[in-house]
Amino acid sequence: MIWREKRILLILLGLLLAANAIFFFTYRVQYQTRLTDLDERLDTADKQLESARAARLQAERQYQSYIQIQNDVKEVFDEHWSTEDARLTLMLAEIKRLGGASNLVPRSYAFDRKAVESAPTVSGRTRKAEIGATEVGVGFSVEGSYEQVRRLINLLELSRQFVIIDEIALNANKGQALTLTLHVKTLFRDDAAARPRVNNQRL
Amino acid sequence: MKPIHLNLAARPYRDYRPVYAAVVLMSLLTAFLMLNNVDTYYRYVHETKATRAKIAQRETQAAQERDREAISKRRLGQLDLVQLDDQTRFINAQLAERAFSWSVLLDELETIMGDDVRLISVSPTFDPDGSVKLALSFETKSANGLIETMNRMHAHPKFQNPFPSNETMLDGGGYSFVLTVDYLVQPRQIANARTVAR
Repeated sequence: MIWREKRILLILLGLLLAANAIFFFTYRVQYQTRLTDLDERLDTADKQLESARAARLQAERQYQSYIQIQNDVKEVFDEHWSTEDARLTLMLAEIKRLGGASNLVPRSYAFDRKAVESAPTVSGRTRKAEIGATEVGVGFSVEGSYEQVRRLINLLELSRQFVIIDEIALNANKGQALTLTLHVKTLFRDDAAARPRVNNQRL
Repeated sequence: MKPIHLNLAARPYRDYRPVYAAVVLMSLLTAFLMLNNVDTYYRYVHETKATRAKIAQRETQAAQERDREAISKRRLGQLDLVQLDDQTRFINAQLAERAFSWSVLLDELETIMGDDVRLISVSPTFDPDGSVKLALSFETKSANGLIETMNRMHAHPKFQNPFPSNETMLDGGGYSFVLTVDYLVQPRQIANARTVAR
C-alpha cells in the first residue's frame, strides 16, 4: 500500500537509476574500448590519407610526365624539325656546304618526299597514325678519296641540321678514287594539321 | 473495565520508512552513477577531442586528395595518349638514327675486313628496341672472302649473328657477297636518343 502511494516517485527514480546504470555499463565500463576504437579510427584515417595521397601523387606524376613528353615532342617538332618553309633550303645549303668543305661536289641531287603516316605499334601491328611529319630525302653521288668520303660523313654527323645518313654505297674506281653514293634524310613538321597539341594546364 | 484505545490521529498511521529508505538509496545510487557518467562523458569528450579533430582533419585531407587525383585523371583523359605514343616512338626511332655514328661503324668495319675485301654498301635498319641490323655488301678477290669476313665478325664484340644473303662470282674475277649482321651500338647513342622524348 505504502509502495503504491509513492509509485510515481519510485518509478521515476527507478527509470533514472536504470538509465544511469545502462549508461554506466555501456559507456564507462567500455571506456577503454572506445578509446582504442578511436585510436584505430585514427590509424585507419591515416592509412586512408596516405593511400589517397599516394594515388594523387601517382596521378599527378603520370600527368606531369605526359605533359613533359608532350613538351619534348613539341620541341623536337618545332625546333629540330621545324617546317619545310623554314628549314628545307637551309638543309640543302648545308649539304652543299659540307660537300664543298670535303672537296666532294656532287654533279646531281635527287630529292624525294613522303608523309610519315604510320608507325608500328609495340605489338608489331601497323596502323594509321597521325605523326604529323614529312620525310624528305636527298640522294647524291660524289667521287673522291676514302679520306674525303670519311670527312664528308663526319661533317654530316656533326652538322647542326637534323640530317640522318640513310644509306651509304661505295664503289672503287681506278686508283684510290671512290664513288660514294649517299642518301640522307631529314624530317619536317607538318603545318598545324597534326602538330602535337600542348596542354598548358598545370595542377 | 474495558481499556480505552484512543486514536487521536487525523489519518491512519503509515510506516513510510522502508519507502524513504528505498528512495534515499536509489537517489544516492543514481546520483553516484550520474556523477560518474557525467565525469566519464566529459573526460571522453575532452580527452578524445584532439583525436577526433585529427580524424576529421585526415578525412577532409583524404577527400581533398581524392578530388585532386580525380582532377589529374580527368586531365590525363583529355590527352591524346595514342597519338603521343606514336609520335614519341617515331621521334625516338629518328633520334636513334640521327645518333647512330657512321664514323664509328666505318672504323669498326675497317678492323674486320680482310686485305682483299672491299665494302660496297652499308644499309642499317633501326629496330624500335634500339638494335641495329646492317645489310652489308662486299666485293672480294678471294673465294674465302665471305667466310673470312664472317669469322672476323664473330670475333668482334660489336657484330653479332652475321648471316650471308648471297655470294656471286663476278665476270671480271672475284666475288661479291651480301650479308646481314646485328650491330651493337654504343649505349650512349641509345640513351641519348631515348632521353629526349621521355
